[in-house]
Amino acid sequence: MSSSNHKDHATLAAAFNKDEPRVDWHDQTLWWVRQKRDKAAAQVADWEALRDSASKIKDNVLSNLSEYLTKFEEEASRNGVIVHWAADAKEHNDIVLSILRNHKVDKMVKSKSMLTEECHLNEFLAAHNVEVVDTDLGERVVQLAEEPPSHIVLPCIHWKKEEIGELFHKHLGTPAGNADPQFLTYAARLHLREKFLTRRVALTGVNFAVAETGEFVVCTNEGNADMGAHLADVHIACMGIEKLIPKRDHLGVFLRLLTRSATGQPITTYSSHFRKPRPGQEMHIVLVDNGRSTHLGRKDFRNSLKCIRCAACFNTCPVYRRSGGHSYHTAVAGPIGSILSPNLDMKKYSDLPFASTLCGSCSNVCPVKIDIHEQLYKWRQVIVQEGNSPAAKTATMKAMTWVLSNPGVYHTAGKTGRWFMLNVPFTVNNRLNPWYHQRDLPAPPKQSFGEWYKKNKQ
Amino acid sequence: MRVGLFVPCYVDQFYPQVGIATLELLTRLGCDVVYPPDQTCCGQPMANSGYEHLTGGCNALFIRNFAEFEYIVAPSGSCVLHIKDHIHDANIAGKIYELVEFLTDVLKVDNLDACFPYKVGLHQSCHGQRGLHLAQMSELMAPPFSKPQKLLDMVKDIQLIDLDRKDECCGFGGTFCVAEEAVSVKMGKDRVADHLHHGAEVITGSDMSCLMHLEGILRRQKSPVQVKHIAEILNSKITG
Amino acid sequence: MSSRDKILAAVKANQPDARALPPQHQGPDTSGDLTPRFITVLEAIGGAAFLVSGFDRIATILHEQYPGARRIVTNCPELSTFAETASPETKNHYDDDPHTLENTDLAILPAHFGVAENGACFITESQMIERVLPFITQNLVLVIHRKDIVATMHQAYDRIALIPTYGFSTFIAGPSKTADIEQSLVLGAHGPRSLTVFLLDEQLSDAGFY
Repeated sequence: MSSSNHKDHATLAAAFNKDEPRVDWHDQTLWWVRQKRDKAAAQVADWEALRDSASKIKDNVLSNLSEYLTKFEEEASRNGVIVHWAADAKEHNDIVLSILRNHKVDKMVKSKSMLTEECHLNEFLAAHNVEVVDTDLGERVVQLAEEPPSHIVLPCIHWKKEEIGELFHKHLGTPAGNADPQFLTYAARLHLREKFLTRRVALTGVNFAVAETGEFVVCTNEGNADMGAHLADVHIACMGIEKLIPKRDHLGVFLRLLTRSATGQPITTYSSHFRKPRPGQEMHIVLVDNGRSTHLGRKDFRNSLKCIRCAACFNTCPVYRRSGGHSYHTAVAGPIGSILSPNLDMKKYSDLPFASTLCGSCSNVCPVKIDIHEQLYKWRQVIVQEGNSPAAKTATMKAMTWVLSNPGVYHTAGKTGRWFMLNVPFTVNNRLNPWYHQRDLPAPPKQSFGEWYKKNKQ
Repeated sequence: MRVGLFVPCYVDQFYPQVGIATLELLTRLGCDVVYPPDQTCCGQPMANSGYEHLTGGCNALFIRNFAEFEYIVAPSGSCVLHIKDHIHDANIAGKIYELVEFLTDVLKVDNLDACFPYKVGLHQSCHGQRGLHLAQMSELMAPPFSKPQKLLDMVKDIQLIDLDRKDECCGFGGTFCVAEEAVSVKMGKDRVADHLHHGAEVITGSDMSCLMHLEGILRRQKSPVQVKHIAEILNSKITG
Repeated sequence: MSSRDKILAAVKANQPDARALPPQHQGPDTSGDLTPRFITVLEAIGGAAFLVSGFDRIATILHEQYPGARRIVTNCPELSTFAETASPETKNHYDDDPHTLENTDLAILPAHFGVAENGACFITESQMIERVLPFITQNLVLVIHRKDIVATMHQAYDRIALIPTYGFSTFIAGPSKTADIEQSLVLGAHGPRSLTVFLLDEQLSDAGFY
């Protein structure tokens, strides 16, 4: 199903699977995170009720989003924060660049923001001669490797420590062959501390923005968002418009869920509430739409805007664990990315809703109860209906439908598997059929159940 | 009790013994089982591929075949879930059951005259488990239960093994198994390995499609381990 | 039409019919002493806790724990003989340039309260001397009163509603950390490499600390 100039998920996943021990390692590392999530959730007696509350609060947010946005803007402005609105990725990038230009700055530090990945801010700023240093350790690793993150919470989860050792040797001058995580982390700490101390602009993401008070919350374990923001003259916080929550006390619900779902910690090390710039500092918030208002209008899909980016659905997804984040060729990979991305570009991402077995584990771990696997199913229908499915597949499906809707045809064609073996995609009996690369099929029995029943029971 | 037996198309074509075991088991438990001969398919292969709009004919045929029965039973969680989700006809909805849930919830079976002296691994198929709630899901913080295990525990001499990942998907996924061959096979190999690691001689479950996928991998690996639908185990007579 | 108005109009046109907020989430019932739970969770996330009778005891313990600390900064007047305090003069100095705190080895700051379910302490700007201090210091010490431990984040936000408004506040749960390299946990990512919480309890005899 590859369109024009990029490889689809199946092709990229097949390439990832060429190195089976590495797939095992990737799968087991992420499964371990899933297990940590299970343990953390099990310690919260009201876990399922908490998910329910979170989902309902987000229902309320989506149904009152324009009011909450207006209220948030009003409160944030009252707090002395400069609020910007960006209709799309380009406008977002232009706004950030103009703030940098106004301050005659060409270097900045940035903590994790999936929104800026979605908008390809780093590439845009590089093209305008602005140097961006990603300060989350995992993001710094992939940045030095000139790759996008493969996971929204664990950006370099696909990298082995030996490879990071080599990368740091090349870029940070650490001794060759040293792959000790503690040592490498300390090297990055020294390297990035110098950046924090010398950069005048810091950009951060936003986990939650509170309409009632105009404050926003940024969660990190490393402290990199705070190091950047509190040392910089200018703090730019970029957020999708769906990050709003109505009241501050709702943070109690979301902060209890977020990190337990993400990494199995009871809370991130830092949950920082930014309300006003510090004296002498300038604080900006960029509110970004980039397709979200359109998505809000899609009844079957709007619930995906509830996402709090915990990545629990990544870690539990048996397909993600065995195909790697880059196989999704989008900023937000995994099951949630597969239902968010087609809204941005249905043709380009028409493969992603099919990169799933619809097992449903994603919906069960989702802290805001997004019906992820049901939306994957619904996207498949929309993608086919809107003509984004290959003609050959449509022809096969129509032929199958004809036979399966006509019992006379089915029974003549289908005597003991013959029709099946010729027409059903996974059973087509020739060596070109992918089923047979690594699997066998049972030999067709002497008689079908229908034939047996006719002989023995009628 | 008059039961319409729905035998999914691939079971009809490849695993007639599963249809026979289901029919025999239900008959032994006192049901009057009828197999409407004009049945074909629930329509799921098309719907899951994005062609739900083509399944009207399958749906109409299904209603024609099964509307008259008091209960409809099928040895497949996946097909039953599809019908529950997509055929909203009053003569179908609320009457269709997957075999295991029919045994535990309708017939309320509490003992079985069956014997199966093997080490058995239970594969929880996703649509039966997460869709029909045949067993508690490991993601939810809720009390455990398992309808298939409850039935298997009634089988004499069976040894159920534990698994490291008790409800991970096998990777069959309908057309996913060919469209995403590499990941599908890897998922299947990993499921198989979990069962083998814990000494399974037989892998069972209530969806033959998953078991067909796992069997395909076992055969290619030249493994002696067998797959059996749960109906075959619950219907296994005491011999000797 | 500005982007603002376009976005708001599109959102308004597409947002679904109003859905009411659910009732305020009530956490699990909690009663009794929350101290053991707080300490257990804090230790599990890499922090340390001491139950102490007063600031003399804190000074003694810190002498033992951080013998090599050169620059020690505090916002607790009781520790002024032990550490550099935020007098009005120095306060202005920091304000001019928070970068000057870069060589802080140890910062000792009061916090409002702790949260038993996650080992976090809540601290607002006025307690931090400078916003960057709890992050830039090599080691961080927070001081709360033992009675100021709440059970869950729900009670935490009930408490925050009673605290004077802030420009910046944060929950701090343990030392800064990362597991970005192969999920190996490393304490001391960008922020403090250690975090110690002192739980004050004047009723306590000096011998009874943890």
